[in-house]
Amino acid sequence: MRLDLTHPGRKYRLHATRKRDMEALPLPFPRDWTPDNFNLPPDWKEIALRKLDEMRRKYRGLQLFLDICVGCGACADKCPFFSGTADPYNMPVARQDLLRGVYRRYFTTTGRILKDLAGGRELTEDLIRDWYVYYYQCSQCRRCAVFCPFGIDTAVFTMAAREILTAIGLTPRSLTESIAKCEVSGNHMGISPSAMLNTIRFMEDEIKEESGIEIHVPINKKGAEILFIMPSADFFGEPHWHTFKGYLKLFHQIGLDYTLSTYASEGGNFGTWLNYEHMKKINRKIVHEAQRLGVKWILGGECGHMWRVLHAYMGTMNVERDFLEEPISPITGTHFKNANHSKAVHICEFTADLILHNKLRFDSSRNEQYAVTYSDSCNPARFMGLIEEPRYILQQVCKRYVELNPEVNRERTICCLGGGGLLADETLELRLRAIKPKIDAIHETGANFLALICAIDKAVYPEYLKHYGLQTQVGGVHELVGNALVMT
Amino acid sequence: MLTPAPITGTGVVKRLGLEFLSFGSLRKAGRKLWLGGWLFHLLLGVTLLTHIVTIFFPVIWSTVGYTWYEVAGYAGILFAAVISFLLFRRLFHPGIRYFSKYSDYFLILLVFSLAFVGDYARVFGKLDQGAVSSYLIGLLTFQPVLPPSNLAFLTHFLLAQLLLMYIPFSKVTHLVGWVLAPTRNQRNVARSEWHRNPWEPRVEIEDWESYAQRYRRELEELGPGGERA
Repeated sequence: MRLDLTHPGRKYRLHATRKRDMEALPLPFPRDWTPDNFNLPPDWKEIALRKLDEMRRKYRGLQLFLDICVGCGACADKCPFFSGTADPYNMPVARQDLLRGVYRRYFTTTGRILKDLAGGRELTEDLIRDWYVYYYQCSQCRRCAVFCPFGIDTAVFTMAAREILTAIGLTPRSLTESIAKCEVSGNHMGISPSAMLNTIRFMEDEIKEESGIEIHVPINKKGAEILFIMPSADFFGEPHWHTFKGYLKLFHQIGLDYTLSTYASEGGNFGTWLNYEHMKKINRKIVHEAQRLGVKWILGGECGHMWRVLHAYMGTMNVERDFLEEPISPITGTHFKNANHSKAVHICEFTADLILHNKLRFDSSRNEQYAVTYSDSCNPARFMGLIEEPRYILQQVCKRYVELNPEVNRERTICCLGGGGLLADETLELRLRAIKPKIDAIHETGANFLALICAIDKAVYPEYLKHYGLQTQVGGVHELVGNALVMT
Repeated sequence: MLTPAPITGTGVVKRLGLEFLSFGSLRKAGRKLWLGGWLFHLLLGVTLLTHIVTIFFPVIWSTVGYTWYEVAGYAGILFAAVISFLLFRRLFHPGIRYFSKYSDYFLILLVFSLAFVGDYARVFGKLDQGAVSSYLIGLLTFQPVLPPSNLAFLTHFLLAQLLLMYIPFSKVTHLVGWVLAPTRNQRNVARSEWHRNPWEPRVEIEDWESYAQRYRRELEELGPGGERA
């Protein structure tokens, strides 16, 4: 193992939020600042310590993880950002220690007396500078937690540190810009209702041209049975668009009574990566809209962190959901008991259930030009445990399907590195360096199609693969479903 | 939650139990570290057990045979060897050395000297085990007798007390960690059961009416009431 003590990671810093965006959201301490000149409020230290104290009381996981790390080093070489930079602060344990040191110094007896002898760390502006760098060089993918003997989860530290950074007025533009757009238009891309309508019309025309079949996509339809939520990138992104097409063809074929929404047109949730309050705000729109439209339950498309929120947080933070019903597939009658409280079902669960009950006819020869491999996304794989469903679907709709190297597969996946707000040009070089082990694994399989179930995966992989000179095509699982689906 | 997260309580018990017995996560991380960590804890268990037997129930040795008593002695020597491997790893592995703290070294040196002095006392110490037993039993029953005046034993005993005192302030709290860690002990029922959050914050968001007012013209394109049925 090689360490680069010059800290090459410090080169990659996310841009600062503009003053007017901070005022609009609003975020604490709107002012002009840059990653070089934080221009911190005078009492930032008290605010930060108070916030840390608050967080460790709120989150039992954080308090426990602050205390129990033994420094065994199991996680040290498991973070892709470490293998890509050799920057010691990108070792998960060292990343945690940036926060743990402050906890030891100010909140434990031994730390208050023995200071750095007990692993304590003074809270200084230089340390905050490193927080801003290294807690925004963690995509919260939780790969390190898989290898930790105690399951210590660096994402818990990253989320706490970002909560503190937000409280003292340090928020990166890559997150806040999208959150601000979401406040106005209902989605991160800033798509207005008429732009969305045009996109949908275009899609309807395209499907008609390709297959001769006329489909109709309901929007804001009151009394529909199901509200369909997806990341807004699917409206425009390439290759997201083809996944979107796959969903719509599928819904048309099975005659699903569903609706899209303009008000809640974002499944993805950039607030997740900033703080709890903004995560809740964005998620709340979905629940509000489900109530206004009078739907029975919520179906969610292919997205990573959207599913972290729908799976882990939605049922807790937006608890008023008596107006929803327990999710039952109108086609197969399957009761998705695993979603009884949150009433949100993943599209892969839904489609896998359709296939299992023989409700769909596929012509997998339409995908025969593809040797397909599947890359697990961090949140569905490590958080939800959604591992078998996409594989089951792919095996039904493709002729050739290969697995990746087990070292980067299933719950050990290295995914896109663009999560956690890192999806910005400032970190592109960093991400390209860090993704190498995954690219090698894709190359080894010889696959020419990389199937994904995450919008950010779909956004970043074309760039990564091109950089490393691979001809592999990128697309969603439901793109392949849409290709193979025999429509009548 | 962390995959593979079980759905039932029995599943959680099984997962934690397996993790406790085999250190499965550590094995995924690397064979050498796993072997070191696993052997360390196994031998620690063996050592503690043989201490209890020898001090309080020495009669057990005559039942199971003194060969086992000898085996326990060799285990003690292996114990010191494993600790020195972990210490060397901490000193010479560049990554681990980087984030190791003084407290990490203190603890491992403490445990090493404890094991080393213990081994010494056993092999060369000419220790009267009967005297040790009566001293410790005397302490525990509040009827103290004089300790045996064996220097190796006294050092060993002092170090053991130091360790016991240090435990609450140290990372030895990881004793409870493997049970309490929410990544391991939670069932994957986040979507099927309601988890009440005691500090749930209230947030205000823009409602449909205000949104529809802003996009009035555009929503009309969709249909009456902004609805495209």
